[in-house]
Amino acid sequence: MHIMEGFLPIGHAAAWTAIAAPFVVTGARRLARQLRDRPQDRLPLAAAGAFVFVLSALKLPSVTGSCSHPTGTGFGALAFGPPTMAALGTVVLLFQALLLAHGGLTTLGANVVSMAVAGPWTSWAVYRLATGLRAPQGLSVFLAACLGDLATYTVTSLQLALAFPAASGGVAAAFLKFAGIFALTQVPLAIAEGLLTVVMVNALEARGMAALSGKLTEVRP
Amino acid sequence: MASIDRLAQTSPWRTLPLAEKALLALGLLLLALVLPPWPGGAIVLAVAAATAIGLAGIPAAQWLAIFAAPFGFVLTGAATLALGWDSGGFRFLPDGAVAALAMVLRSAAAVSSLLLLSLTTPATDFVRGAQRLGLPPELAETALATYGFLFILQDTATAMHASQAARLGYDGPGRALRSLGGLAAALLPRAFERARRLETGLAARGFDGRLRVLAAARTISPIRVSAILATLASVAGTGLWAAWR
Repeated sequence: MHIMEGFLPIGHAAAWTAIAAPFVVTGARRLARQLRDRPQDRLPLAAAGAFVFVLSALKLPSVTGSCSHPTGTGFGALAFGPPTMAALGTVVLLFQALLLAHGGLTTLGANVVSMAVAGPWTSWAVYRLATGLRAPQGLSVFLAACLGDLATYTVTSLQLALAFPAASGGVAAAFLKFAGIFALTQVPLAIAEGLLTVVMVNALEARGMAALSGKLTEVRP
Repeated sequence: MASIDRLAQTSPWRTLPLAEKALLALGLLLLALVLPPWPGGAIVLAVAAATAIGLAGIPAAQWLAIFAAPFGFVLTGAATLALGWDSGGFRFLPDGAVAALAMVLRSAAAVSSLLLLSLTTPATDFVRGAQRLGLPPELAETALATYGFLFILQDTATAMHASQAARLGYDGPGRALRSLGGLAAALLPRAFERARRLETGLAARGFDGRLRVLAAARTISPIRVSAILATLASVAGTGLWAAWR
């Protein structure tokens, strides 16, 4: 759910960049501290960032028959932790803008808020809640990835609604419009990404990797 | 991904100072956002495209092919502005087409400005530039290493995908989902293993977290900067004059 370059008015682009900044700076400081304490984590972290980039480029079969790409936010949050995902996600979104012309520089802040902050934190919270309620692991992972994906699309709809309020009904009507249009593609995709994440986590755990530790880059695989 | 990076690495503008290219491209990007979409956006689009193709030596066919992908997303995004929603469901707004067209112009101008920068400047130059502006070295090196891993992992994922497809791994949504899950689950351990081996090799050579490379000295030319500022001023002036006329 990238917002393309130039799509947001300059005031909104600046405001979303300011909102994203504390999360990115906190995540970046945490990463910098981790790298000073454990310099050997530098390349696994880089590999994790590249993995999230490649994961988001995979073509995902959708229930409606169309094809799109996973966000990778749910898996990233469960495997690497939400603060790390804020920093890694920003790097990934920057490279997507520069190397794929997908997203943009002026919309980087808005995309970071939806895909590197809201999505991962929602996934993390849902996973914690589901495991706290003793839900089976597969169901917890599915809900985390699926709802994390839906959270990114909901936040994107809100960002667009704030930028382009309806003439009658204002932001609320515009939000319902954008959310209604995107739901046609994003709800099936969120379900597909939830299922994909369950398959990935099961396969990684079968290989002995702590895929749900939130600290995968700190654990020697 | 590879096409933008290849064009950036081989661009005749590769050796120009990043500050000059950023001034021109980001200046045009800013103008795309603040000028009225018509005719300001159209002028920015024309100037950015003409500069990339005519001056920076990007082949027109390749520029168009690269521009087409984000432009498709711009078109579908702008189409949502033409629609309204009420109790009767979705309907076309009376002034929706005008709003959508304005968005297409503005966003296409912004995308072409971004492409002017990304097609003439490798991503590594951006990271080095950000480091000069204060990005912590640990993060800059991690971003540079991420950039390096992108292409290796993309190639590996493409080979895995071809191998699975040859075994009918993508025959139907259920199989496709299982194959993709298996692909990703096989790719991550490989990525970590490659990172571990690289880290061991670098540590054996005294790696302290920074890969120091010699960078060619690139002097900012006052003449080029003046030309860039004159171009930006002309675009801004023409856009505003034509809008108010």
